Amino acid sequence: MTAKASRKNGSSKNGRKELSHGATPRNYGLPLPGVNDQEFGGSLIVIEGMDGSGRSTQISLLTEWLESEGFAVETMGLRRSGLVAKDIDALLAENTITRMTLTLMYATDFYDQLEHRIIPALRSDFVVLADRYFYTLIARAVARGIERDYLNGLYEMAVRPDLTFWLNVHPEVAFEREFRKSHAISYWESGRDLSLSDDLFQSFILYQAKIKKEFEGLSERHGFIAMDGEASVVSVNNELRKRIAAHLGIQHTHYRPSAALAPLWR
Amino acid sequence: MSSRPSSTVEQSPANLAESAPQLEPARKYPGALIVVEGIDGSGKSTQLYLLKRWLEIGGYRLHFTEWNSSPLVKSATRRGKQRRLLTPTTFSLLHAADFADRCERQILPLLHSGYLVLADRYIYTAFARDVARNCSPRWLRNLYRFAPVPDITFYFRAPLDVAVKRIMSGRPKLKYYEAGMDLNLSLDRAESFRIFQGRILAQYDEMIESDKFVVMDGTMAVNTLQKQMRQMVKARIDLARFAPKKSAKRAAL
Repeated sequence: MTAKASRKNGSSKNGRKELSHGATPRNYGLPLPGVNDQEFGGSLIVIEGMDGSGRSTQISLLTEWLESEGFAVETMGLRRSGLVAKDIDALLAENTITRMTLTLMYATDFYDQLEHRIIPALRSDFVVLADRYFYTLIARAVARGIERDYLNGLYEMAVRPDLTFWLNVHPEVAFEREFRKSHAISYWESGRDLSLSDDLFQSFILYQAKIKKEFEGLSERHGFIAMDGEASVVSVNNELRKRIAAHLGIQHTHYRPSAALAPLWR
Repeated sequence: MSSRPSSTVEQSPANLAESAPQLEPARKYPGALIVVEGIDGSGKSTQLYLLKRWLEIGGYRLHFTEWNSSPLVKSATRRGKQRRLLTPTTFSLLHAADFADRCERQILPLLHSGYLVLADRYIYTAFARDVARNCSPRWLRNLYRFAPVPDITFYFRAPLDVAVKRIMSGRPKLKYYEAGMDLNLSLDRAESFRIFQGRILAQYDEMIESDKFVVMDGTMAVNTLQKQMRQMVKARIDLARFAPKKSAKRAAL
């Protein structure tokens, strides 16, 4: 399923279903107040996957490749808004926060980035690379007992990506990679608040399995391109570039990382 | 599967089952929720204060809560307002996060433990104000789906001129978002406030039937209104449930 959509109208063909209500090819049911998504010239490309799936490595490489091809790139990720990112950090550090509040703070963070960063970039013809998107937020909230319908409604005004890649890895592999990288596993990434297990490793595996199950449903609903996140960085990157090149109309996709990024290329 | 998470993890299974179903009319908690709504200057806060005093003097178990009072997201709201970073969507979401915190940590646990909860402004404030800011009503209704439905919602309705005059005479300076300056209604802050309040008033009126508001005439004398309010509370709520429990006291002794 090559998503060779024309850049201007932004429509893609991969598994897009049920356009309801005021939905356009660019949103999930509702436009944001005051936003005309017909004006978007850029492309939104999402990379999803759990921590340790290689997302950030791939985004660094893709950014360099796209810039070398002459595309302006903007990035987004979770908890990176100017408005509430710090507040979320502070809330996570305490454990008095409830699930609903956290869900809504993340939604605020998401929409703040969308409105202040992503939409202006899309209007200016940028390629936006998203290091995770609201899909992760839905999966996390569902794992904590919040209804899917509620969450789908919450993110109804999100911009529909042109391409969404899901780097799929086994939780055990992700755990090992994360542990090697930071010698610790975060409280939240292992879902400790859910009291799944007293053992950190067990908790991480059980939590990530829940998230993964939710992602399977999301993948079907939103037409993700699932990729083997356990393959080598080089082969995942080759596949990503092939897909993105087809979408953006880039002719040849030869790429060699710069000296700065060469250590990632393995 | 519930539309909102239950408030605490430690609840017994019975309590979890109770808090699971959607809020709709079937409220399965022993408490009661009384709400006042209306535009600024409609007299609602004065009336709720008097109602609270009446109930307090009577010794009823009650808790008073205000819109926008949670310390948890206060810094974010303040920063957003000061730097004018807020769009209609993020303005709405931050207030919803704030409300969720109050709802999950105060309102719901208190309703479950049999309190009379008095709320100065509730979700209808968000509906009126955020729709006036061009947010989608459908999106907003979904956003606040986790909120318990009030037992009584008093809507204090005052003509725009009366309400605006009350505010303008008492308050030195209108804040940016409060005056709806983000909507570019007028360069003059007082005029913008007036137009914005007019829009909010129209949204409140829209909800009278759908949300079963008890409409109170905000131009009437304070004590007349209070009398009506107390009568309505007595008629609709079994206040005996909230009276000091004599048997419980004896048991404790």
